[in-house]
Amino acid sequence: MAAVQVSEAEKVYILHGIRDDLRVDGRGCEDYRHMEIETDVVSNTDGSAKVTLGHTAVLVGIKAEIGKPRPMVPDEGYLEFFVDCSANATPEFEGRGGEELGTELSNTLYKVFNNKHSVDLKSLCISTGEHCWVLYVDVLLLQCDGNLYDAISVAIKAALFNTKIPRVHISADDEGGKEIELSDDPYDCMRLNVENVPCIVTLCKVGHRHVVDATLQEKACSVASLIISVTHKGMVTCTRKVGGGSLDPESIFEMTEAGKRVGKALHAPLMKLLQQEESLGKKHQKVGFLG
Amino acid sequence: MPTDTKRVRGPELSQNPGLFACRPAGVVHATHGPRADGRQRDQVDVRPVFVRCGLVSQAKGSAYIEAGNTKLMCCVYGPRETERKDETDMKCGRLTTDMRFAPFSCPERGSWIQGSQDKDFSLMLHESLQPALCLHKYPRSQIEVNVMVLENSGSVLAHAVTCASLALADAGIEMYDLVLGCSIRQDGASYVVDPSYAEENSCSSVSGENQGGLTVAFLPSLNQISGLQSDGEMAEETLTAGVRTCIEGCYKLYPVIQQALAKAVRRAAPPPSES
Repeated sequence: MAAVQVSEAEKVYILHGIRDDLRVDGRGCEDYRHMEIETDVVSNTDGSAKVTLGHTAVLVGIKAEIGKPRPMVPDEGYLEFFVDCSANATPEFEGRGGEELGTELSNTLYKVFNNKHSVDLKSLCISTGEHCWVLYVDVLLLQCDGNLYDAISVAIKAALFNTKIPRVHISADDEGGKEIELSDDPYDCMRLNVENVPCIVTLCKVGHRHVVDATLQEKACSVASLIISVTHKGMVTCTRKVGGGSLDPESIFEMTEAGKRVGKALHAPLMKLLQQEESLGKKHQKVGFLG
Repeated sequence: MPTDTKRVRGPELSQNPGLFACRPAGVVHATHGPRADGRQRDQVDVRPVFVRCGLVSQAKGSAYIEAGNTKLMCCVYGPRETERKDETDMKCGRLTTDMRFAPFSCPERGSWIQGSQDKDFSLMLHESLQPALCLHKYPRSQIEVNVMVLENSGSVLAHAVTCASLALADAGIEMYDLVLGCSIRQDGASYVVDPSYAEENSCSSVSGENQGGLTVAFLPSLNQISGLQSDGEMAEETLTAGVRTCIEGCYKLYPVIQQALAKAVRRAAPPPSES
């Protein structure tokens, strides 16, 4: 991630503040920054969402294509994740610089969604063993100000909610082969149930306490962070320790418990907001990229 | 997808005949039955390990580990002078890790080109080893750790971490403590420690809650966790209990690894001179 240079005095200042539950911008240890979510921003995709978390901006576009199912699970579709760190975010990402970070982010996303309940993959099947829907989830990092995992997971949840997959009918044609017909009505589409899609919470260990949604300065003062992805029921789908430091087992238990609490609380307002935006339909004001 | 232009590959559409083997109908993976290799469920029953250091003569340090059918070897090169001279290199050393799977190691043939899964394992290995090394004692230097998996029969990452820390100790790199790895697979209400390949990849037909795997890298004498990775879907209490079980598994492994290291040092040290 783009790193900032933080002086020793500044580190001590941040550390002492967090010890007293007061961060540099006045938040508490478990508060998020101001988050803005907008769906349906890119018209060429089947689903899209843009999330701005403080100064971090993430754009997710989902395209549904018809492909062949995986050999081991012929009656399920699947998702493919790809994270691209745009050179707009920092000059370090120019060329192949952002590739390492992008691979790390997409590998974590594969792990987060690697369970039976997050997305109903059986609903993505068209005909067993031959055709299925493949959802290509492409994440673009526009601005990088810390806490990429959280912003990306919220954007993916919003984009999946917004995804409209066209309905197809399989019919047998004259030679006995199968023909795929797209329905004529552009509004006849299938929506995904995103109730169980998890959200990722990143907890950074700073001093003896942990903080949620760390800025780049706070990250520079921490030795290690724990990424935990939580569903709305409180089930944990993926955890990962990142960073070059080690953590005490007690800290890890404390951080998992806090992460579960914060993550669980994130889902209800998010779903409410997405449903509200959806219900406005044509009337909702498009903010776009410059608002 | 990266393509390999240097080797002659088989046809693109070749598939493993194992895919066409008919699975007996109604195979319910017995969640409360005994494990295939006779170990116990719900108990910290790790496979007995065979470790040997100093097998590769050209490397500064090397180690080989065998646990059940999982076989891995690790070589350490360094400390060597680093080519890139960034600001950070002036103060402490740099650790590079690389974990590769031989194409014949898994039941499905893999490719020689590193897929994203290999890069993910290398990154996890790097994160697990870095806290244990005294990198500040090696400024402007680079330490390379290469792990090669010869046969993948379950809990590869955990054994790779153990093997790599043994190889680093064999190379004489200063460390705060050995890093040991242990992994666990949760299946419904019961768990299995140090799962084999079949246990790791079995999808229970009962799609219940609490299914997943967890790998922990642990520094025993400092009581610190240096690496943690889990996937699947588990409740938070199960995760916490799983971490505790993995820590216990690491403590069980510790004396064996220490003995192997002491043996290697004694073998390498010259016999006391008769005076």
